[in-house]
This record gives sequence, structure tokens and C-alpha cells, in this order.
Amino acid sequence: MSLIQIKGLKKSFQGNEVIKGLDFVLEKGKCIALLGPNGAGKTTTLRMLSGLMKPTAGSISFSDAKKDGDIRHLIGYLPQFPVFYDWMSGFEFLQYVGKLAGLTSKEAKERSLELLEQVGISDAKNRRVGKYSGGMKQRLGIAQAIIHRPQLVMLDEPVSALDPFGRREVLELLEGLKKETTILFSTHILNDAEEVCDEILFLHNGEIVESGTMVELRERHQQAKIDLIFRKKTEEMESTFRNNHLTKSILIDGNRISVFVTDVETARKEFLKLISNKDWQLDKFEISSMTLEDVFMKVVGK
Amino acid sequence: MSQWMTLFQKEIIEMWRNFKWIWVPITFILLGVKEPLTSYYLPQIIKSVGGLPEGAVFEIPTPTAGAVLASGLSQYSTIGVLVIVLGTMGIIAGERKSGVAAMILVKPVSYLSYVTSKWAGSLLLVWISLFIGYLSTWYYTGQLFDWVPIGEFFQSFVLYGLWLTLIVTVTVFFSSALLSPGVAGFISLALALAVSILSGALSHLLEWSPSQLTSYAGALLTAGELPDDTLPASLVALVIILIFLLFSVFVFKRKELAS
Repeated sequence: MSLIQIKGLKKSFQGNEVIKGLDFVLEKGKCIALLGPNGAGKTTTLRMLSGLMKPTAGSISFSDAKKDGDIRHLIGYLPQFPVFYDWMSGFEFLQYVGKLAGLTSKEAKERSLELLEQVGISDAKNRRVGKYSGGMKQRLGIAQAIIHRPQLVMLDEPVSALDPFGRREVLELLEGLKKETTILFSTHILNDAEEVCDEILFLHNGEIVESGTMVELRERHQQAKIDLIFRKKTEEMESTFRNNHLTKSILIDGNRISVFVTDVETARKEFLKLISNKDWQLDKFEISSMTLEDVFMKVVGK
Repeated sequence: MSQWMTLFQKEIIEMWRNFKWIWVPITFILLGVKEPLTSYYLPQIIKSVGGLPEGAVFEIPTPTAGAVLASGLSQYSTIGVLVIVLGTMGIIAGERKSGVAAMILVKPVSYLSYVTSKWAGSLLLVWISLFIGYLSTWYYTGQLFDWVPIGEFFQSFVLYGLWLTLIVTVTVFFSSALLSPGVAGFISLALALAVSILSGALSHLLEWSPSQLTSYAGALLTAGELPDDTLPASLVALVIILIFLLFSVFVFKRKELAS
């Protein structure tokens, strides 16, 4: 079931085209990562989807939109830098937003308490938001985005500003959230996308340069690569691997030689034999699969 | 309606937490009490400060109670307006600038309710402050001079309130049309000043100008009866208030919340 269809979405600022025509469909119940380097247009895309910005061209159609086109009851949105009323407590803010989203006072109160617990800030619920740390604001931001159980939750860089612990916890939160709703979140951190998401949209210079599930992406970009790390790398090693008949290309980084090969199995046997014959001191031998980072570099680099 | 009440309550609580409920009424009371006190004690003040040449006879006529009340009221159209504009100019622009407006309006919140609840919240503050302040003027004038009939007090209070309502509405409009609270405040003040000066200078041509409401209120207190143009001027004020309020919503709706 498709939740939202985007066709030919474009956005220009003063004649400068930032989003150059996006087409994609979001399926219900999926977790999709909008991945791209800084300035790729991730925030702009999310702002257009949430209705905070008007597209220059193209259409965004939600399958369950109201007749007048209002989609705000369907979505929850967390901006990159969430802002609250500093004079309210976290608990008050959630209740306020819950009531605005149509919950009764009682529902809003119960749901707020439940969410404060879920995002792990119930100890600070009566503290003024102005006194919250960055991580706590981010959690409160997630809580306010999902308070009305929206069909689609959009999170703009939810973990980028957090320390490793906070990051871990928020990712786990998203993992749990996946069961309840559709999630679209933007990030420039590849591991985060890889960890939580089923699907990835690669955005680069305002265009989708690659998309698909993790498995599809791996298959499409699979390259056999062998990483060799030596105690001490010599010129001889370099030229030996460079000129091997199995080698497609090599990358040198300090004492590491990464060899892209045509056939991993043959290469493994041959390389190991070669190394032991020459008696080179090998610290590490690794057959690596393509990581998302490699795909990212490859896609962005072209 | 319940959403509107939620928004409105938030405005009231916010003004409580940032002490507007304290300092705006206090300012209005101070402004209002100043006039009867200084008028009453002026002869003593001059005497005790001295500086008059020996033997100079300096008769200060005792003003009528109505005149004292009228000049007390006029304080609100200068410093009072300044206080109101400064307190209101950030009401929408500030929330948009900080980004919290986007957080709220990405929820299914009606733009009409968002703007009108803020407008109503400011008005409540202004009317209550004006009432308390003006009541204290009336009380001190009564104690020190003479009691002005309570009917005249109420009528002049409503006329002044109407003018201040217009000021609030115009400020809300610029606050919703512009991103900077400072610029919104400046334009609102400049506009109020320009209208007052213009209608004052061309009073025979612009009898229905809403800023004339302030002088009509004064005329009621000094002469004891309302000028004939009070009704058209009040109607014009109401129409302008309504137009500016609707425009505030309209302009705000068309704006992009994120930029």
C-alpha cells in the first residue's frame, strides 16, 4: 500500500534549483532513510513533504489526505533543530501539542506520560524545556512528533547532534517505532541508515541518485575486494598486487592494500600462497563486502 | 473551539510566566495615577522646589476633575501605546523566527485559531490593564478633586479601549506579515503616530478617523457629552480592526513557515 506519492518535486530558491525533480513512493509500514551529504536537499525535501514549504513544481499526494488537501493530521515532523516554548515543562508541551492534535485533555495527559517514559525523559518531565540538554530536546522532539500516532513520521537528522550514547538510544527508539508507523528520516551518517532502515533514498545535489533496499543496493554494487594489512609495506608488494592477473584495481592507504579482484575465491588462494612464499609479514587479511559507505562514495563520486 | 481554547489558554499562561500580567497593569496604574497626583500637588511642588523670584505671585488654576481624568487618559495614547506595541510586536514574528511556530503549525492547527487566539490574549491583557489603570486614575481624581460620573468613566474607557484594540490589531498584523519583531513594532508605532498626527491636524476633515476616539473620550470628560462623530469613528475603527485581523490570518497562511 502506498502512503504517499511524490512526482516531479522541485524547489528553487531565487532561481537556484535545490531540488531537481524527485519521484518516489513511500510504502506503508516501511522505514526509509533519506541519505545524502550536507547540502543535498534532505531538509528541503522533508519540509516540502510536511507542508512547511511549498514546492516550486511537482506534486505530493497522500492517499488519506483530507478533501482540502490538509495532511497535517497524518504526519509527525521533527525539524533538525527542534524548538519549544522554553517556559513550558516537557510534560506541559506534550500535553499542549497533543490537545492541538485533537486529543482530549485526559488522552493527552496519558499519552504524554507514556511517551515521556518511552523516550526516557520522564525524570525531567516537570523541568522547564529551557533547561533541557540537546539530547533531551531531541527526545522530546520525537515524542511530540508521534503523540497523535501519525501514519508517517518524518525526522530530520534525529541523531546527528547526539553523543554516541544518545545516538544508540534514539536508534533503538526508532527500531521500536518501526512497528507502529512509517518512518522517513534523513541522515548523513551511513551506519544509522544501515542499522534501522529497510530502504534507502540517496539524495545528491537535489536528485535521487540511487534507491532501493539494503539487499538490492549491495547486490547492485557488489564488488569483490580483499583488504591486506602488512606490518611493513614495500614497493615490491605494491607492484606485485598491481600486476597480478586477478587484480582489477588497487587502493593504497598506509600499510593497507585494498585489491579489487575479479574472482574472490581464486584470488584468496593465490594471494595467500604468494604472501607465504615471499614470507611477507601479514597482519590482517580480509575479504570485505561492500558497505553502504562504499556505495555512497561510489554513487556520489560519479 | 476546544483547540482555540487550548491556544488561548497557552497565551494567558505564557503572559503569566513572563510576568506580563504584572508589569503591564503596573505600568498602566503608574501612568494613570501620575496625572491626578501631580496636578494636585503641583503648587506644593513648585513652592518647595523654589526658584520663583521673591514676591512673584503665581496662580495655578485648579483643573476640573474631568480635565484631570482626560489628561490622565491621554497618557495611554503615548506611553501606553508604546508599551502595548513593544509587548505585542513579537507575538507571531517571534515564534516564527525561533521556529516554534513551525513545530506547532505542522500539527493540524487552524491558522485562523492560531492568529486570533494570540490577538484575543493580547486584547485581554490590554483591556484589563487599561481598566485597572484608568480606574485608579478615576479613584485618585475623585479623592483629590471631584468624582466624575461613573457612566462617563465607562464610556471614555470603552472609546479608549477601542483605539488600543486597533493598535493591538495593527501590531498583530505586522507581526504576522514580517519576520522581524523589531521592524513590526517600528512600523506599527510609526503608523499609529502618523494617523494620530494627521487626524489631529486635519480634524475637521477626518472626524471619523479612529484616532479621534481618544479626543472624543477627552471631550466627553471635559464637556460632559460625546461629539456626534463618535459613532462613525467607532464603526470605522471596528471595520478596520476586522479587516486587519482577517488580513493577518490571510498573510500568515500564505507565508512559508520554514525558509
